[in-house]
This record gives sequence, C-alpha cells and structure tokens, in this order.
Amino acid sequence: MIWTCEQIEARLSDYLDDAMTRNDRVSFEGHVADCERCAPLVAHLSKLLTSMHVMEQIEPPPRLIYAILDNTLGKREPVTGWRAIFGWFEGISTMRLAYGALSVAGTFAILLTTLGFSFTKPKLADLRPATIYRNADRQAHLVYAKGTKFVNDLRVVSEIQSRLRQDNDMPTSQEGIVPSREKQPGQTDGSKPTTPRQQNRANDLTRHIEILADELPVWAGHLSVPMFADSMVARRQP
Amino acid sequence: MEQDAQLVQQCLQGDGSAWEELVRRHSRRIFNICYRFTGNGGEAEDLSQEVFLRVYRTLASYRSAHGGFATWVTSVTRNLLIDHYRRTKRDRMTDSLDDAMPVVENKESAGRRPDQQLLLNELSSQVQTALTKLSPELREAVILRDLQQLEYIEIQRVLSVPEGTVKSRINRGRIELARILQQMGVRPS
Repeated sequence: MIWTCEQIEARLSDYLDDAMTRNDRVSFEGHVADCERCAPLVAHLSKLLTSMHVMEQIEPPPRLIYAILDNTLGKREPVTGWRAIFGWFEGISTMRLAYGALSVAGTFAILLTTLGFSFTKPKLADLRPATIYRNADRQAHLVYAKGTKFVNDLRVVSEIQSRLRQDNDMPTSQEGIVPSREKQPGQTDGSKPTTPRQQNRANDLTRHIEILADELPVWAGHLSVPMFADSMVARRQP
Repeated sequence: MEQDAQLVQQCLQGDGSAWEELVRRHSRRIFNICYRFTGNGGEAEDLSQEVFLRVYRTLASYRSAHGGFATWVTSVTRNLLIDHYRRTKRDRMTDSLDDAMPVVENKESAGRRPDQQLLLNELSSQVQTALTKLSPELREAVILRDLQQLEYIEIQRVLSVPEGTVKSRINRGRIELARILQQMGVRPS
C-alpha cells in the first residue's frame, strides 16, 4: 500500500508512540525513506519527543507550598512560650532519631564509666581534663596488665595440661613389664603396686609444678602458684 | 494512588497534616503544568495556588472509583487553565515576554554531562516559547502527553473528550510544535 504525505502526518503519533501494526509500520517507513517532505519532519519530531521525555520538571519556588497551605488551612499562628522553646523536640522525636540518640548516650556513658566517672557519686572533679587523662592512662595500663596476666595464666595451664597428657600416655613400669593375667573378683595377685594410681598422679602433678616453677620463676607469683608454692616448699623440706 | 485516596479521607476528617502531604506530593507537577501552559513563573505560581484552593474546597466531591487523585487534580488544573486563558486573552494581545518571571530549572541532571544538560535546558526554554504559540487545545494535549507523560486514557479523562479527539490533538500539536521550532531554527540533537 502506498501512503500519501497526509496519511503520514495523520499517523505520525501512532508511529512515534509505537502504536502501529507491522504492515503499517513498513508502509510508513517506506514512504518516509523516499519523501523529501516527510523525512525531515519525522526525524525532527522523533528527536524532539526524545528530548522532551527526558526534560526535568521545573522546580517550583519553595514558598509555593506554604502559600497553598496558608490559603487553605489558614495562616499558621506563631509559636510562643514553651512550645517555641521545645518545638525543636518534635522534629527529632521520630523513632530512628530516638534510637540514634540512645546509642550515642549509651556510648558516652560507657566512655565516662571507663574513664573513672561514677554515676552513683558524680563529682565535677572527675570531669576535669587532667583527671580524665589520668584515669584513662590508669585504665589503659590496668587493662594491659590484666590482659598480660590472663595470657600468661593460660600458658601455664596449657603447659600443665600438656605435661599431664604426656604422663598419661606413658605406660607405668609395672604395666609395661608384667603381662596382665585374668583376675578373679576379690583376688589379688601381688603384681600391682600398693600405692593407688591417684596418689601417683598427685605426686606427678606436684613434680610438674615444681619443674614449671623452676622454669618460669617470673610467673611464680601468679594464679595457681600461691596455693601450690606452699605445698612445694613443704615437700622440698624433708 | 491508594495512598492519595487514604490521604483524601483523612483530609475530609479534618487532618491538616494529610492535606499538607497531598500538597507536597502534587504541587510540583501542578506547577509544571501551569508553567508549561502559561510560560510565566509568576502566573504559574498563582494558578497553582488557585488549583489547590479549588481542590481543597471540592475535595468531598472526589471519588476514587472514577480515577486517581492525580488525574482529578490535573483535570481541575486544566479547567482552571482554560478559564484563565479565556479570561486573559485580551490582556495577552498587549503582553510582552519581558515580564515573564524566570524559573529555576531542576538541577538533577540524571547523570548527564554538563554540556548535555546545558543543551537540554536551552531546548526546554525554546520548547516553552514554542508551546505558548500553540492553540490551548493542542498545547494542553502536548503538555500532558509529552511533558507530563500521561497515558492516552488519563488525558481522555482529564480533558473529558473522546479518545479519537485526544489522539488527533496530540498528533496535530506535536507536528505544529515541530514546525514552530523548525522556524525558530531549533534542531534537537
């Protein structure tokens, strides 16, 4: 079907809005490709519409909304008295801001407590920069000392455990030499040592602690040492 | 759309904050329609206020079943613009473009380069000039379709004319606009 220029103009928006059948589109484009009058119009309008579709909205003046609200709801009364003083609070009374403020207050409370400020017995002197610095310095050293002691204690305990484990893995001399025989209940064969095994372990533990105390004299004052030190001294003395 | 209907219900129950929310949601769009139609920032501002005053007074007559609130407000705007056009027709004979208030173009450039944005702003201004030379029927059709990007069915509701008339007006408006811009020597890139 051959289209005329008038038909092209009449269906121009259908073409640009993509509201044409395939056959119509082919006929439309067939005419435009050969028409000196229609081709520039279609190209120009196509570009124009593309540009118009991406044009941003114009920003109205900010006073417009307030003018509309004044015209419809009436003039707003100026806020006075307590509302003027605490009016700002309404703006921040949203849940999100309240949660944020609570987090900040909690952080400050933790910081102040760490820096030695007592909320039960608040003193202005505690908030002096020099006092805050001194307390912070003291707290930092205390934390460091506690941390070091904790790590050292862990190492001592770990060492004891590893020694005990080694000891348990080693067979006793009797168990290693004498083959075990079938034993009837209540019958003794005279091959077991008279000393209970638990007593041997206790002796071994004391021995290990003595060795550790010798190897680690610096740590002798920490953790388990006070309790065992007395017993070690008692054992060393005949 | 449902939120608008809910806000309207709250307004009718006397909730001022719901009305404020409605104004905030639609004032920009209404101002743009008024500005594109009149080509004057001051007039657009006055007309926008008038639109919302009329909407506020006739809010009880809004029925959500007959279309969205946005379409209804646009329809009110369109009627007011046509009234305004007829009312000021005589004044415009002696009007000068010199007293047109400048308006602030939106600075949100959606990732465009500054030179592209500049060209687009310039074209926007030229389109605005060309729009004022169209007849009001064609102008409103083009504004609603190509600047507000309303669907044909929405335009049909706003203008209260048959679909064929809407299509015809948009088509003629576009062709007319393109010819005016060509005469102005404008070539969109």
